[in-house]
Amino acid sequence: MLRPFQFKEEAGWSHADRLLLCLDTGSWRTVHPVVDNDKCSYCGFCSLYCPVQCMANRGDHFEPNLTYCKGCGICARECPRKAIVMEKEGDS
Amino acid sequence: MVKKEESMAAIKVITGNSAAAYGAMLCRPEVVAMYPITPQTEVVEELSRFHAEGRLEAEMVEVEGENSAMNIVTAASAAGARVFTATSSYGLVFMYDALLQTAGYRVPVVMVIANRETPGITGVSAGQQDMISTRDSGWISLVASNCQEILDSVIMAYRLAEDSEVQLPVMVNYDGFYLSFLAEKVEIPSREKVDAFLSPLKNQPPRPVLVPGKPAGFGTHGLLEGYIELRYKHFAALERAKGKFEDIDRLFGKHFGRSYGGQVDAYRTDDAEIVLVAAGSVTGTAQRVVDLQREKGVKIGLVRLRMFRPFPRERLAQVLKGKKAIGVIDRSICFGWNCGPIFMEIRALTPEIGPIPMQSFICGMANMDVSTYQIDRMVELVQSASAGNEYQEVRWISMEE
Amino acid sequence: MATKKGKLSKVFDYFSDQDPFAPGVSCCAGCPLELALRFMGKVLGRKDMVITGTPGCANPVLTGQNVGAWHTLTSYGTLMTSAASNATGLSRYYRKIGQDATVVCFNGDGCAADIGFQNLSGAAERNEKFIYICYDNEGYMNTGVQRSSTTPAGARTATTPVGPMRRGKPTRRKNLALLMAMHWIPYAATATLSHLEDFAEKLVKAKQKKEEGLSFIHIFCPCPTGWGVPSDIAIELCRTAVRTNYFPLWEAENGIVRITHEVKKPRPVSEYLNLVKKFSHMTPEEQQVVQEGIDFDYAFLTHLAKFRR
Repeated sequence: MLRPFQFKEEAGWSHADRLLLCLDTGSWRTVHPVVDNDKCSYCGFCSLYCPVQCMANRGDHFEPNLTYCKGCGICARECPRKAIVMEKEGDS
Repeated sequence: MVKKEESMAAIKVITGNSAAAYGAMLCRPEVVAMYPITPQTEVVEELSRFHAEGRLEAEMVEVEGENSAMNIVTAASAAGARVFTATSSYGLVFMYDALLQTAGYRVPVVMVIANRETPGITGVSAGQQDMISTRDSGWISLVASNCQEILDSVIMAYRLAEDSEVQLPVMVNYDGFYLSFLAEKVEIPSREKVDAFLSPLKNQPPRPVLVPGKPAGFGTHGLLEGYIELRYKHFAALERAKGKFEDIDRLFGKHFGRSYGGQVDAYRTDDAEIVLVAAGSVTGTAQRVVDLQREKGVKIGLVRLRMFRPFPRERLAQVLKGKKAIGVIDRSICFGWNCGPIFMEIRALTPEIGPIPMQSFICGMANMDVSTYQIDRMVELVQSASAGNEYQEVRWISMEE
Repeated sequence: MATKKGKLSKVFDYFSDQDPFAPGVSCCAGCPLELALRFMGKVLGRKDMVITGTPGCANPVLTGQNVGAWHTLTSYGTLMTSAASNATGLSRYYRKIGQDATVVCFNGDGCAADIGFQNLSGAAERNEKFIYICYDNEGYMNTGVQRSSTTPAGARTATTPVGPMRRGKPTRRKNLALLMAMHWIPYAATATLSHLEDFAEKLVKAKQKKEEGLSFIHIFCPCPTGWGVPSDIAIELCRTAVRTNYFPLWEAENGIVRITHEVKKPRPVSEYLNLVKKFSHMTPEEQQVVQEGIDFDYAFLTHLAKFRR
């Protein structure tokens, strides 16, 4: 008795509309960014340089999406106003 | 722009290479990759000429190497194109990584191989080692034995490859030098007839193809059961190809008036006591010997292998069962098994056909002719074995005086 | 006192589409490759794109896992030996049937400069119509940091280690972008992730030129994991590489070179080398050899850039 086939096709096709994969990358980090809205000049560099592209535009500043932020620290490093600090997980 | 020439069948004296080019041209491939290699170069030159004359409306890609040639046609096929390319020995093994990819990707690429000796000992000469070296690539492998059959096999190859229950690439092998440069009388069918023969393919469920902008990924990473499932499907498709090829051969006969027997051509084997098995142009010579031996009263038949992969196990078992002795002609060697490769595969049929004395005759490599004298000698040896005498299992006919 | 809110950077204007990649993918934290992928996806757009990927660091993101995919693009998996030839097959057929398509190859330096160079060179010579993007992390990073032909001289890698018998990679790296420009293709350029406007402009230009022939973009893409730098330094590393002329930013149309980012006062290359652990074994003399190499390369480039028809 054969198990049911995963693929509808004869060859290896992946379909984003059947299954869009996603890793729980938020669980990787040991630090996370905290944005000080007062210092933020809304230039958007943190969002542009974020490899995960998880900085959400809040109209007058940006905020990280902590579900996916890997805690790399690039946003804090690149912010021209030093408006972002990396805080240890579990602190806030 | 269809020239008057193609709207009627024509009889021409052309080489095997030219026959392959005509066969491909008539099937209207859309992307053709070209790279020269002896003894196939004429195929791509002819196709270039057809394109320049307006008889072939295809994207002609003059590639920088055979590896690229195979990849180009595979990708084009994955996007939905009908494709064609040609190569031989050194080129075939150069594209080996792509060859495996093409088969695993289940795209209907059609390729002709003008068989030639593979690298290892520098050689520009006929032999079937390149066909043998790619046995396990997962491709369907056909063998043609004369120029007409080359042309016809290319047309049948498209019908087989693009069948929705097969979806596998097909290579048509023919002996380099012996067939590639041999000019014979060939009937070139009309375009209309070829179009009509291939038109049922359009009525099938369409195969999945790569469309820009649609979120689909081809060539996914197969993991665990996913990987195994795809291999399993590939296996099953190869099995189905056997029956399909029989049907296609019959349909070809009805449509064009020429039929070749399907997976194997069993010549005078019904009442034969001893049988010779061979593939390729040597079967022409062997057939002549069989006829002459029959006149002398020897009950001999010839089994001509037309499909090498998938191996026509059932048909061969049917034909060979009950025979008193078998001689297998190999124009190549099976490293590690101390015999010829086709011999080794026939030997594997023993559980089905019983323990029949079988002899492996290794000859005809490196452009050395297989003469009627040599085949007469083989018949003698097989006869002797059929009478119950001791026999030497493997003989290098080319090494004997 | 709160900082005055300014205008958003104009780099945002280059985005023509949403990010086509899943939010959580398997690139290392701080990997500029992930930024390059997402940025490219947003600038070029999904509408008519077919992206081809080969084994390498981008592979786990571009290639699916069984039925699942990590993005909503149309993608095709190729072998390392054959990225450019597969793209050729796709591009030729789409052109023949009149299908709008932007075929993009996204491969690492190992594929582009080493094992897949032959077919890249062939495709460039035939001026095939697609975009080839090479992310250069100076080695085979996905398999554990082995050297490739774009690894710089002196670098420590797993196959060019440092010990009494040897001092890292003995030979200079290939100038891949210049090699491609010398195929006289319509567009060849270098870019990096610190100069995003420059990168975006180059992507847009490459797409505009796709009907003329091959566009090649060489991205300097450091690997924090493999090079031994902290995960937050990657962009700064790119910037320092540009500032020290270690990686000049230029473009070439049909072989005529133009420097797109002039560095008025280049910093000494030791500033760059001291940031990266794979060069930490270098003596001041060895660093001086690197400086001489950089000066030579830049002088050569500026000399070429002076040439006009």
